[in-house]
Amino acid sequence: MRLAALDADASAAVQVIAYFDGLVEAGAGLQSIVRGAAVLAGCPARLDDTARRVHIRMLPDGIAAPAPLAGGEHRADDKDTERRAGDERWPGAAAGTAVLRLERSGAAGPVDAMVLERAAAAARAVLDRTRGRAPAADQPAMVELLVDASAPADARLRAGRLLGLAADTTAYAMVRHGGEIRVLSGDADPPYGRAGIGPAVPVLDLPVSHDAARIAVRFTAAGTDDDPGEPIIRYGELGALAMLTHVPEPGAVPDVRVLEQAGTPWLLPTLHAVTTTASLRAAATHLRLHHSTLQDRVAQAEHLLGWSLHDQAGLLRTHLALILRRLHRNP
Amino acid sequence: MTAVVPSPPPFDPELGAALAVLGEQLPPALTPEMIPLLRQGAAVMGTISDDDLRRGGKFTVEERAVPGLDGDPDVSLLICRPTGATGMLGCVYHTHGGGMILGDNRAGIDLMLDFAEEFGLVVVSVEYRLAPETPHPGPVNDCYAGLLWTAAHAGELGFDPGRLIVAGGSAGGGLAAALALMARDLGGPELLGQLLICPMLDDRNGSASAVQMQGLGIWDRTANRTGWGALLGAAAGGPDVSPYAAPARAADLGNLPPAFIDVGSAETFRDEDVAYATRIWQAGGRAELHVWPGGFHGFDMMAPTAVISQDARQARFRWLNRMLNA
Repeated sequence: MRLAALDADASAAVQVIAYFDGLVEAGAGLQSIVRGAAVLAGCPARLDDTARRVHIRMLPDGIAAPAPLAGGEHRADDKDTERRAGDERWPGAAAGTAVLRLERSGAAGPVDAMVLERAAAAARAVLDRTRGRAPAADQPAMVELLVDASAPADARLRAGRLLGLAADTTAYAMVRHGGEIRVLSGDADPPYGRAGIGPAVPVLDLPVSHDAARIAVRFTAAGTDDDPGEPIIRYGELGALAMLTHVPEPGAVPDVRVLEQAGTPWLLPTLHAVTTTASLRAAATHLRLHHSTLQDRVAQAEHLLGWSLHDQAGLLRTHLALILRRLHRNP
Repeated sequence: MTAVVPSPPPFDPELGAALAVLGEQLPPALTPEMIPLLRQGAAVMGTISDDDLRRGGKFTVEERAVPGLDGDPDVSLLICRPTGATGMLGCVYHTHGGGMILGDNRAGIDLMLDFAEEFGLVVVSVEYRLAPETPHPGPVNDCYAGLLWTAAHAGELGFDPGRLIVAGGSAGGGLAAALALMARDLGGPELLGQLLICPMLDDRNGSASAVQMQGLGIWDRTANRTGWGALLGAAAGGPDVSPYAAPARAADLGNLPPAFIDVGSAETFRDEDVAYATRIWQAGGRAELHVWPGGFHGFDMMAPTAVISQDARQARFRWLNRMLNA
């Protein structure tokens, strides 16, 4: 009889509730809460509160294991990018300014949703009790000042210090979908949610990072069928694609109109998968479709679009059309 | 004047939460009528296969029937030998837990195999007869017979007879303590140590912790009465109980092998286990005692992921390291 041996039946949810109620009642700390989430869900769990600099990660056997890499933009490499991309697909729940996530990339476990809800609520209570109000990292006026190139340098440095950023450290700007600007320490992970990320730069160069983040956020997507794509985009990864923001009226590009008018619900996610994976087989896996089903869809898509999806030129054309559509939708 | 029962120490937060989940499956108070049902439940939950024991080829597994004590029936020993170890092995002789009324020689063996992997040990786990069908001294005599055979066959099993440790949890901890007493008194094998995990030592069942924890946690005073009653019948708690049944009854705790004793602060056995360690020191012996705050009985087995369980487990490894490698 062990705690981790929860069944997938209704009583499992009741047990999850009993467990976290027990923790809260006994005044358990954040580590215990994150550990409970990992043990009960049976996968690694993590709590990240960038503003409060809280980062806790636990394995399902209850062992504390810091995230494999908690680097900022300046340390990003391919693997890091991959890991961060994974982050956004993991199920998560907000706990105030923190986010609790289960590192689950496959099908959801039977109690994931309940674990997230209960653990996040417990974590929020502890954070509020023990860590006080989050530091002023979100104070909009300070942030506005930091990313304003026309403001005097000493005023910007002072704003940086008030936000906990020393002059000799790096930081990056993040622009959320919806326009909210945040500035984060260069070694902090971006918080949960759809956003464009600027490069990590010295504090005085934050206006540059902010400009980059504003461009990057236009390339983000909701990740829905109607708007497939990645929720977090780093400017540094866009390369020459960033130039597409100079297209005056992306919605008027004929290929974008074709996409908008197709009216077939599976079309956009299919095209996104086909243009962003290495093979049709990989695309089928990504879409959780049978290979032959995807082949049928690709044939239909070619018919709807009027161009081929079987050569590089056609794939590039499609990819560009999808990106321009995104820019059209995120003016 | 009414005696006031002081309120019990709180459970560790993670353990308390685990108990809220697990307690539904195992109530604190167990009565004799529940024994058959408990055995059924244990049989369903606790099946460890030979394959599990082999751990992907790290151990060979064998069962040997060896002679019982003084014409008693044969005793079955489960013998797991490490395949990859180099150098001279040690041996951990394991007596399983289960309140004297439950379990078999595979219960709790995972921890022994973990020790064996870490330190290069042969694991021998004895299948002693259970109470109430077999009252004292049958169970402990079976254990002692297996210990004698094991020590006498050290060469065949491939371990250094100077590196033999007895170990067990709960009732198995009490049996291991009894084996150390018997080996001392009866000219048995020299033991390197006794690893007593939340051991069940005292049939009198009246300590402050037993009273305080009534109806709480795991294995409360009622359950304890059920276990001792099964083993000793009407003699339980009376004047004539052998120390080989209840080691706390031993008048002399001198000249024993070094003891490791751990126990939770929120369990029936807390005070009898602390007293046992104290009396070993008072008799000039060596003992290491850990009282884990807010631990219920067997907490590290039932909630192995809790941080206090991890700490408790590590303390045992550190003690074994000092015994075997220092």
